Amino acid sequence: MNPLTKAVIATVGSIGAFVLGGYIGPIAISVVMLLAASAAGVARALLRASLLLSLPIAISVVLVSVFTRPGTTVLFTIGPFDATVEGVDFAAQTLVRLLAISLSIGLFILTTEARAFVFDLERRGVPPRFTFVALATIEAVPTLVERAATIAESQRARGLDTEGSVRARLRGLLPLVGPAVITSLTDVEERSLALESRAFSRPGRRHLLWSMPDSAGERVLRAVLVLALAAAVVARVAGLSLPVVG
Amino acid sequence: MGVSWGRFDTRTLVLMPIAIAINIVLGQTIASVLKIPIYLDSIGTVLVGVLAGPIPGLVTGLLSNVLWTYVVPPPFHNDFAAPFAITASFIGFYSGLVAQLGFMRSRPNADWVHVILAAIVVLLVLGAIGFYGFIPFYAGSDFTFFNPSAQADTLFTIVAYVIAILVIGSIIGLIGLLIVRRDLGVAFVAVAGLVCGIFSAIISAPIAAGVFGGVTGSGTDFLVAAFQQAGSDLQTAVLKQGLLSDPIDKTVTFFIVFVLLQTLSRRFIARFPQGEKAVSLEAA
Repeated sequence: MNPLTKAVIATVGSIGAFVLGGYIGPIAISVVMLLAASAAGVARALLRASLLLSLPIAISVVLVSVFTRPGTTVLFTIGPFDATVEGVDFAAQTLVRLLAISLSIGLFILTTEARAFVFDLERRGVPPRFTFVALATIEAVPTLVERAATIAESQRARGLDTEGSVRARLRGLLPLVGPAVITSLTDVEERSLALESRAFSRPGRRHLLWSMPDSAGERVLRAVLVLALAAAVVARVAGLSLPVVG
Repeated sequence: MGVSWGRFDTRTLVLMPIAIAINIVLGQTIASVLKIPIYLDSIGTVLVGVLAGPIPGLVTGLLSNVLWTYVVPPPFHNDFAAPFAITASFIGFYSGLVAQLGFMRSRPNADWVHVILAAIVVLLVLGAIGFYGFIPFYAGSDFTFFNPSAQADTLFTIVAYVIAILVIGSIIGLIGLLIVRRDLGVAFVAVAGLVCGIFSAIISAPIAAGVFGGVTGSGTDFLVAAFQQAGSDLQTAVLKQGLLSDPIDKTVTFFIVFVLLQTLSRRFIARFPQGEKAVSLEAA
């Protein structure tokens, strides 16, 4: 499947979950995403990743909404906090929405090679300068972490205490962070010279030898999804209550 | 002299991924490990805005949050960053404008009258933030700095210490720079950060309330809970939380960038499209 189609599915799914609201819309989206995932053979991985990622935020949602949302029907009381039916209802709605968002995006992440997605965008006319930024970011995060590790080791070789008490560690931080950030930034110099010497800023388009398959069916699917989302937004704004809005 | 919107030269384009990486690494750590009411996920955005101009700043902010959700793999991946791309874009754009107006310039060796005036401004800003934000938060007694429920990944723990230092260091640093170097720039930075914080709170609140039911899974949620318990409805509670957290966050962010600009060599800064204007090399 073309990466753009997957990106459209993920975006429409996550925005759709928000636009539809209620229970039925987000749950339907979640089910569709899980079915698609099992077709791609990544259902278990997706479910695990989504649940893990949403867990901290879910705990917060439950605590904040269940106990502090004003409501009339009190379920039970812990100390000064009342759990109300309204709070539980609101928390549950937020949870299904978050799950739908997380599943939509998780499916995209799990099934798409980021590089392929970015190259496909470039083939479709996104300026190469922006695709460069996106690709370089993928590289930059691990590079930054790796650089930090190297600096930590060399400073330890010079006798910096990185394992002792909390105070000792705090004192050791500046010699670690300073060089990591500064060298990353001064690297900019070198890299931009290297890019310039390889005709990075020359005008015109690159001709990519590699391309992703993109069928007519996928184009139709994308158009339908985007139109459906637009329709949902319009309906929501116009205040129409759709059957799917719970 | 009109407003310049900034350019995307090669140097800026190389800086942007690094800036985005800094945003994501710091922001993710805050979101998953620390229990403090700030985010620190816009240092890179502000840096690009200051050095390259408003539009590159805007694009960096936008890309940071979008890439955070769609492209960057775990453990630095966040499903819920993309909606806040609007706020991040604003921060980048704003910092570009503010830098052009000279708010990030160092103004050392001012005379004492001005230093005292600046000190009053800084104390007012810090005082307002502290009185309004931190005291009620910390007065909640069972406050702990680290989020106990977080999975104690060593990498995150280290970065968490970094952040602790950054926050405490910048508060001390603000006052220190003012007294030791008699640097008036500090007052400008504090004001710029405060204003940025207020605007980003107003922009973020509807997003946080509408999409996430007011919570983001980080330390700020406790504030939302507190306000809701005190009787605010969700929208108001989230806005109040933002108005506490964002000014602190942005003041610290702007100050860190300010110090960073002092540390980097002038030759390096001057080669960016807006670098010279931002730190005003001639005047220094």
